[in-house]
Amino acid sequence: MLSRRTLLYAAFAAVFLIATAAFSAYVRWDVAHTPRQYDGWQRIAWPFPRDGWDEGQAWRGHGLELYVRPKLGFCGNCDTGVVEDSEVDRVTDIDLVDPLFVPLAPGQRIHVTDLVGRSRLYRLRSRGAAQLAEAIAVSYRCDLVVAIVVGNVADEKLRRTARRFLEADPVQDWINGQLGER
Amino acid sequence: MMRLALLIVGAPILAGGAVAQQQKIGDPPEASNMRLVGWNDLQGRSAYQPTIHRQGDRWIAYIGHHGGTDAVAAPINSLTGKAEPNGTSIVDVTDPANPRYLHHLPGQEGKYESGGAQMVRVCDGATLPKGDRRAVYMLRTFGSEAHEIWNVADPANPALVTRIAGLKDTHKSWWECDTGIAYLVSGVPDWRVRRMTQVYDLSDPAHPVKIRDFGLAGQQPGAVGAVPTELHGPISTGPGGNRVYFGYGTDKGGMLQIVDREKLLKGPAAPTDDNLRYPEVGRLLMSAWNGAHTTFPLPQMPIAEFAHDSEGAKRDIVMVVDEAIQNECREARQMVWFADVSIEARPMMISNWTVPEASGHFCQRGGRFGAHSSNESMDPIFYRKLAFIAFFNAGVRALDIRDPYHPMEIGYFIPAITDKTDKRCVRGGGQDRCRTAIQTNNVETDARGYVYIVDRANTGLHILELTGPARTVAGLK
Repeated sequence: MLSRRTLLYAAFAAVFLIATAAFSAYVRWDVAHTPRQYDGWQRIAWPFPRDGWDEGQAWRGHGLELYVRPKLGFCGNCDTGVVEDSEVDRVTDIDLVDPLFVPLAPGQRIHVTDLVGRSRLYRLRSRGAAQLAEAIAVSYRCDLVVAIVVGNVADEKLRRTARRFLEADPVQDWINGQLGER
Repeated sequence: MMRLALLIVGAPILAGGAVAQQQKIGDPPEASNMRLVGWNDLQGRSAYQPTIHRQGDRWIAYIGHHGGTDAVAAPINSLTGKAEPNGTSIVDVTDPANPRYLHHLPGQEGKYESGGAQMVRVCDGATLPKGDRRAVYMLRTFGSEAHEIWNVADPANPALVTRIAGLKDTHKSWWECDTGIAYLVSGVPDWRVRRMTQVYDLSDPAHPVKIRDFGLAGQQPGAVGAVPTELHGPISTGPGGNRVYFGYGTDKGGMLQIVDREKLLKGPAAPTDDNLRYPEVGRLLMSAWNGAHTTFPLPQMPIAEFAHDSEGAKRDIVMVVDEAIQNECREARQMVWFADVSIEARPMMISNWTVPEASGHFCQRGGRFGAHSSNESMDPIFYRKLAFIAFFNAGVRALDIRDPYHPMEIGYFIPAITDKTDKRCVRGGGQDRCRTAIQTNNVETDARGYVYIVDRANTGLHILELTGPARTVAGLK
């Protein structure tokens, strides 16, 4: 027969374990239930086949599609970050959207929140002559965050709309979690 | 009573794997069938490629270094008392029990992968077709900006011979000493990848002759569309084998490319899709989760099991070693693969090998866990019998590869950490959590049977020898 004190300790232990499990379940639930709509954007399923990186987030809104994900440890130079257009061609997921992509012009330096890198515009040959996309690659230490915006990105106003959303809570909370809550 | 409650709370935590075997200063090395013979701290510099070269009656180790660290950008050269950016360490290992540090040749300023002089290969002038017979030539990288050749006939006083500059990156090159042909891993402006191959004739090291640029079709200047995975490094079998094995991908999207050396050297050099495809005789695509750091050829391996078969009793094998990049297992496992390339147009993976994680709880020790590289010496003492794999926090692992269909570990050595061993951090909850562990990065062997391992986390050079059954496999007394 267990004494009252033993039962008390056991009860405390059980409460501790249940609380830990509940917290863990809540964290998982929270991640799984990131808002699926935000400011005109609708979360959609990640459409690309499995590759070497974890799946990213995909969103549709304002006539645009946006695909974003971190690529941990993929930065070629952890000190300088992404500084060349060829890196944007190579490290972003533009090849998943269209393996026949053609750059339209030299890229530009860009920042997304406090992360710095480059962006570049492309024509998507396999989607028809008029289809455009913007590829974005910014870095944090040796980790990259890459994004593709598909749509009429020749329109600077639409590009700004997409970048504002990249900096908004639904995307940033998730990215920061992936980067270890930098 | 209290113990019962603690058990209820503690058991799941322990079962969850909190039994990490973190290394502490003062702990002995962990070993099986391998023994420490000698050690040098390499001035606390992060180490990459070791090359061991016999010069007369001396044995000299040339060791390439990564750039400095955040804490120590330019360690003190104990021979001069001056702070120097990491470059190349030159160590006399004639007496392996008492290695003597001879010289530090500074490299490019910079930290981690951005500076230093990671790669080093050595050829005798008497072996190179047009070399100075009295010279010993050391080919090394100079950070990301150049390849250099130094005369190290007097290893304590290297003299610069030539420099191939204007690059944006460099890495793990290969140099055929009997022909002088070098496959330099370079970053050439306008190419669409950070690293590709510049083929040079360095038979006269004082007068380098460029042969061609090489890479995968789609990587060349002016190409559009998807960019194929970038190069990590090649290994050539020279004119005898007439094959160059290129490893692409490091830790992701790997590929082994088999190239006809003659066609590579004598084929049309202009970097067009067709010209780049012309020398290729086969390729083996790997999983998106694994890359090819080292592609080590093991031609004509007799397979005991197939001895009585009318065909295929000997197989051409390439050992492919992935590189682990992330600390504390935050990626797919990087390991060792064996490819049967006997039918070159249809190469096939036949086996693999990894250190069992649970054997040392390596995912919790700190730093990287997984393969990085193998020894690359083709000296008969170990060639096609034993392979040595640098496995980061699991030290060096000795594999019996006589049956590459069933590779088997026969020894290992995990060095002790020291006060110079650098920490490795992971990010979580907005904070860095750091641990200190050995990070065995590269390994090489010499013709005497010694095994040289170097540490990425600044723990230096450990010289080892085999003991027990491992020694017997190598045929050593």
